[in-house]
Amino acid sequence: MNTHSSSQFDADLDAVRAQLTQMGGLIEEQLKDAIRIITTHDQASVEQIIRNDKAVDALEIEIDDACLHLIARRQPTAVDLRLIMAIVKAVKDMERIGDEAKKIAKAVRKINERGLIGGQASEVDLRHLGDQVTPMVHDVLDAFVRSDADLALSVMRKDRDIDNLFRGCVRQLVTFMMEDPRTISTALDLVFVAKSLERIGDHAKNIAESVIFIAQGRDVRHMGDAALEG
Amino acid sequence: MSTPTLPHTPAKIKAETKNFNFYYGDFHALKNINIQLGENQVTALIGPSGCGKSTLLRSFNRMHDLYAGNRYEGELILHPDDTNLIDPRVDPIEVRMRLSMVFQKPNPFPKSIYENVIYGQRVRGVKNRSILDDKVEEALTNAALWNEVKHRLNDMAFALSGGQQQRLCIARALATDPEVLLFDEPTSALDPIATASIEELIGELKEKVTILIVTHNMQQAARVSDYTAYMYLGEMVEFGVTDEIFIKPKDKRTEDYITGRFG
Amino acid sequence: MSLPPEEIAAIRANIASRKTNDLIFATIGICCLGFALITIAALFVDMAVTGWARFRPEFFTEFPSRRAAQAGILSAWVGSLLVMTVTAMVAIPLGVAAGVWLEEYAPKHWITDVIEININNLAGVPSIVFGLLALGLFVYTFGLGQSVRTAGLTLALLILPVVIVATREAIRSIPLMVREASFGLGATKWQTTRDHIVPYSMPGILTGIILGMSRAIGETAPIITIGALTFIAFLPPAPITDVAPFISFEWLKAPFTVMPIQIFNWTSRPDPAFHANAAAAGAILVAMTLSMNALAIYLRFRLRRNIKW
Repeated sequence: MNTHSSSQFDADLDAVRAQLTQMGGLIEEQLKDAIRIITTHDQASVEQIIRNDKAVDALEIEIDDACLHLIARRQPTAVDLRLIMAIVKAVKDMERIGDEAKKIAKAVRKINERGLIGGQASEVDLRHLGDQVTPMVHDVLDAFVRSDADLALSVMRKDRDIDNLFRGCVRQLVTFMMEDPRTISTALDLVFVAKSLERIGDHAKNIAESVIFIAQGRDVRHMGDAALEG
Repeated sequence: MSTPTLPHTPAKIKAETKNFNFYYGDFHALKNINIQLGENQVTALIGPSGCGKSTLLRSFNRMHDLYAGNRYEGELILHPDDTNLIDPRVDPIEVRMRLSMVFQKPNPFPKSIYENVIYGQRVRGVKNRSILDDKVEEALTNAALWNEVKHRLNDMAFALSGGQQQRLCIARALATDPEVLLFDEPTSALDPIATASIEELIGELKEKVTILIVTHNMQQAARVSDYTAYMYLGEMVEFGVTDEIFIKPKDKRTEDYITGRFG
Repeated sequence: MSLPPEEIAAIRANIASRKTNDLIFATIGICCLGFALITIAALFVDMAVTGWARFRPEFFTEFPSRRAAQAGILSAWVGSLLVMTVTAMVAIPLGVAAGVWLEEYAPKHWITDVIEININNLAGVPSIVFGLLALGLFVYTFGLGQSVRTAGLTLALLILPVVIVATREAIRSIPLMVREASFGLGATKWQTTRDHIVPYSMPGILTGIILGMSRAIGETAPIITIGALTFIAFLPPAPITDVAPFISFEWLKAPFTVMPIQIFNWTSRPDPAFHANAAAAGAILVAMTLSMNALAIYLRFRLRRNIKW
């Protein structure tokens, strides 16, 4: 993007972008840790994730405030306006991703407290699901920073795979529960973990939609797949 | 945001009014104005036409002294020497040598670019050519005009475009080494591109000088200023950090004005 | 919304009928202008034709004579030139200074109002009255005699109001903001006046001066009143002499005649040959006046080139 004739505007936008990158790095870290502890049950990491979520929340407020100031002082238009609107929305989604990571950590904490009864097999599947979600989040944040619509589109396409994997996990957990009622509480916690991972995929998809809006000015929300390719 | 949050009133005050009143004959144009200009900061005066913002600005360099029947009351203090600028014992010429003004429309003299920039030094009796040459280069550089005009300093000022003429007027004001620079709607006669370049320039100039700007354009105030005062009917309704004024003004009248619900 | 065809036709008819008035006024205006121009042209051509035989170099280098064919206008044009010089030297500084003072320095109260009204009225006083004033004041009271200086001073008085008014108008046309820019940089009143007010109002002031001078050069009545001679066969003493200090002001005290008086003198002779002389001199006087006006227009254009407001 060319620079503005107001260098202060550029400086302010760069500052927001930097905060956004910082927040993105933080939630990626949170997400990776959360997925790791699904199998490792590392209690220290559980507490770490829950603590770090405060930092994510603080960044959300900071970025929202910065956007408010930018709108009030710079009256952004066209691509700047789309960018700032998209940032405000993306920050919401990123904060939710952080929340989901925290929920996973809390679920793991519960499992740790109760002791794992069955479900080891599912944990591996969940980890696989998580390993699919992590690059999505990474790619979409990358796409956001670079305003890369193609990368964003590929993220949106991946969300369907995530949904399929999620259904598979749930089906498997339901089977476990029917076979052995003792596993129910563990399985339920794992269902919540799966649900969280699926939600993270949805949030990544939402951010991807924003990226396309910034880059092309095209609103691709609630459209069929056919329209997406257009 | 990267810019640190400003305190509610400027930390280091360069100039301020204390219970300042101004009368055009019998007309009470400014009522009990209290405003502080932060050193090396931009303070914007906004408000509807006739609210007294230009009158207040013009009080700062005693422009009203040029016309009969005008009267100041209260104090208008310039720091750090605490001179009361509106004290009748203070010569308006001294005031104008310390605070320079840039006007609504570009108003260069029908003289060469060089002579325009140097006029403030000429009236002081400076004749040394090398001093004058240095001043011209310094002032034009600070006004972001040097590169465009350095090879044609002897051309007439009117040969420049509107935006360049206004930057020339800024250079002319800067060449007197003012402590405070007063802008009276400096972009009201300019196109958006020239306006943007002047706004950018104001942002750079505040590193060197304290700035007070009157503008009809609220967005301009939002873009360039650190502190903003909203004036209405000769009173100062609200004064505060620009971000606060534009995001959550305290006074209903300010809110109505900046959101276009005025009148 | 779209208009039916008959309404569009009505609109067109309406425009056409209103535009007829434009045409009528334009025609009347052109007729009036033509009438004025033709009258002046006819007068000038008539004079030029009548005096045609007299347009020889000798006409400018000969003194008046009893023989019409040998008479020239030397003493008249030299006299006019000298009188105009005195007029200019007096009227310009006085008029410009007075105009600048009234506009820039004078306090605004009833006394200045009275002065202002009087100056405007002075411009309308018949020139013979100035002649009477000059006769009483300069000739008798001050004892300046019936000389070049008296005539110059009289005509200076006559055009002073024109110069003052022109100066004030020119000063008023300078935008307030330019003046404020100068004061804003810390200039004093005198610096502002010297560096800006006077230079920028110069085109207007010069125009006023030249128009005043071209009026003065044709004035007859006040010159007759103060007693210009009608027949002069010598020139005033030269302003430059061969003895120190090489400059002489004796010419100021010399008796004189001027162009209009020479013309007046010739027309009152019974011999029609002198009438040809008068016509020739008249044509020359008109040409002088026109060229002064042309100079005024040129100077105005020239000086205004760099001033854009």
